[in-house]
Amino acid sequence: MSDMTPQPTPPRPRRLLLPLFLALPAVVFLIVFFVAPLFDNGMRSILTQDGWTVSRYVSLLTDRFYLGIIGQTVLLSAGVTLISVVIGYPVAYFLVRKAGRFAGLIIFLLIAPLLTSIIMRTFGWQVLFARRGLVNTLLVDELGILSAPLRLTNSPEIAIAALVHVLVPFMVLSIATVLQGIDTRLEESAKILGANRLRTFWEVTLPLSLDGIGTGAILVFMIANGSFVTLVLLGGGLQTLPLMIYQQFNTTRDFGMASAMSMILLVIAVACLFAQLRLVRRKGA
Amino acid sequence: MTIMKRRQFLGGSVLFGAGLTTGGLLTGALPRLANAQTTDITVTAFGGVWEEAIRTCFVAPFEAKTKAKANVSLGGPPQWLAQVEANPAKPPVDVLIMTPDLALTAAKSDLVDDFTVDKIPNLAKIPKELTDSVLGKGTLFDYGVGGITFNKDRVSAPPKSFAEFVDRVAKGEFVASVPSISYAVTPIMLIWAMAKALGGGVDNVDPFFAAMAKMKDNLVFWGGPNDFFNHLSSGEADVGIYFDGRTWNHYDSGATWIDFINPEEGGSLNGVAVQKPKNANPLAFAYINEILDAQNQTKFADIMNYGVTNTDVVYSDKIKPRITPWQNTAFPPYEQIAQVRNEWVDRWNREIGR
Repeated sequence: MSDMTPQPTPPRPRRLLLPLFLALPAVVFLIVFFVAPLFDNGMRSILTQDGWTVSRYVSLLTDRFYLGIIGQTVLLSAGVTLISVVIGYPVAYFLVRKAGRFAGLIIFLLIAPLLTSIIMRTFGWQVLFARRGLVNTLLVDELGILSAPLRLTNSPEIAIAALVHVLVPFMVLSIATVLQGIDTRLEESAKILGANRLRTFWEVTLPLSLDGIGTGAILVFMIANGSFVTLVLLGGGLQTLPLMIYQQFNTTRDFGMASAMSMILLVIAVACLFAQLRLVRRKGA
Repeated sequence: MTIMKRRQFLGGSVLFGAGLTTGGLLTGALPRLANAQTTDITVTAFGGVWEEAIRTCFVAPFEAKTKAKANVSLGGPPQWLAQVEANPAKPPVDVLIMTPDLALTAAKSDLVDDFTVDKIPNLAKIPKELTDSVLGKGTLFDYGVGGITFNKDRVSAPPKSFAEFVDRVAKGEFVASVPSISYAVTPIMLIWAMAKALGGGVDNVDPFFAAMAKMKDNLVFWGGPNDFFNHLSSGEADVGIYFDGRTWNHYDSGATWIDFINPEEGGSLNGVAVQKPKNANPLAFAYINEILDAQNQTKFADIMNYGVTNTDVVYSDKIKPRITPWQNTAFPPYEQIAQVRNEWVDRWNREIGR
């Protein structure tokens, strides 16, 4: 009898080879353009003419100045992410639930700024908020509200605002995609069971959309973490790791230090990615 | 049959891709494929009007005389030097345009060839001091002066000296735009020049840092030359530390509200050196000879509004009043500055932070 039972056919080696073969270009690409440069960068961060050293990492992780820079980098990225959630969620909610036939137009308006060069957008902020720019001219000369112009550009605040301006679309689109997939009958059920609109949102809609917030937060955090042009042009007193890496390359030519800084930036990005994923999954569970 | 064709295609694609990337990695040859012939060289230029001037004044006569082709690679000295350092046996560029401190780094690392009159006849027309300043492994062919640029519409009585500049900015009379520490020549054009003007020097930059502390509430920082112009044109700043040539370029482009003063203490000379990497195409010497040619330099000066170094050059009436003879500038001790530059940068980061 047992001899009559059909045995599962073992996969033919040719069928296993095909997916591996198809994955080969991507694997080669990643090895050549990601793994190998990363390894090279890591080696550069510990090698000196006399051998190897971890002194660069010790300096970066114990010197109060460099710790401050790492702190500013993380705080800036976290702040921009938080503001983007606060601004982006209502926009995404309106887009999915209220905009109706205007949804396409709103998406276009959201994406439109991304079609222009980041340098032009940043210069736009300068034109608007310069000491003798449009806003100050209006406040001082036209309306007479102020006696002297405000120092609005070249400050951390304006740099954060400019970053949020650039990054909010990523947050909105991430959240909107998830909101779109939430079954509205769940919200209706909550209301039928006596929940008011706020409680329905807080206990049904928000938890179900956490995946979207998580995705958006990861995207925004990562991009803000490595942002450069906006901070160079508008950053005021902000000192972040990308600016310091550029300085090590361009001014001091200390490539070892630049490599160590970039490895730390990478670790921060990966750690935050991991932490955000854990947080979102736990909340969403 | 169909399966075989698909496999062949996939296999071929993978092999082609792997071959390209491996070849590129092993030889660094991808960007140089077009350069493989000995009649092609790769020369360097900054972007914008620089590129235009390089093509018109140097590339065109070089190509006409040698029938060779000069490809122009755009970028900046730190990038080009890093490229040569990464592949000194087969440098990806044949001619380097460098800031003097990086030219010294290249010279001391033995990455560049000696300049001699037998290889470059026009070198005989360049003052010896300018060739010696980069240890004879290159020479300065063009220079700008770092001085005070201002908006005439808003500043009717501009500061005439660095000392006056510091006092009036500190008092809040103006908002000034100065180069940030991320700009490669800030240690020379700002830190050293202002320290020297205020009684210090390479060994003592305390006067500079004290001046910056006094001015800090009325300063903005530019990250690149165009950024400075944006500051002045948008009203973010009224005056600043900038280059004479770029100032006059903006003026000629229609910004007639802009003006420049060479400070009484003498603005710093910011030279541009030309060098040939070792193992680069020998034709590079012919190109460098064109760079040092009096007629070509005259044309270059007319376009760029910068001083040039061939002693036979006669400036046109238009730009003559704009050019400060290099002997009347503060000539930076590039070699000494290179030794303390990183200390200055670190101090700037900790005390000024922008």
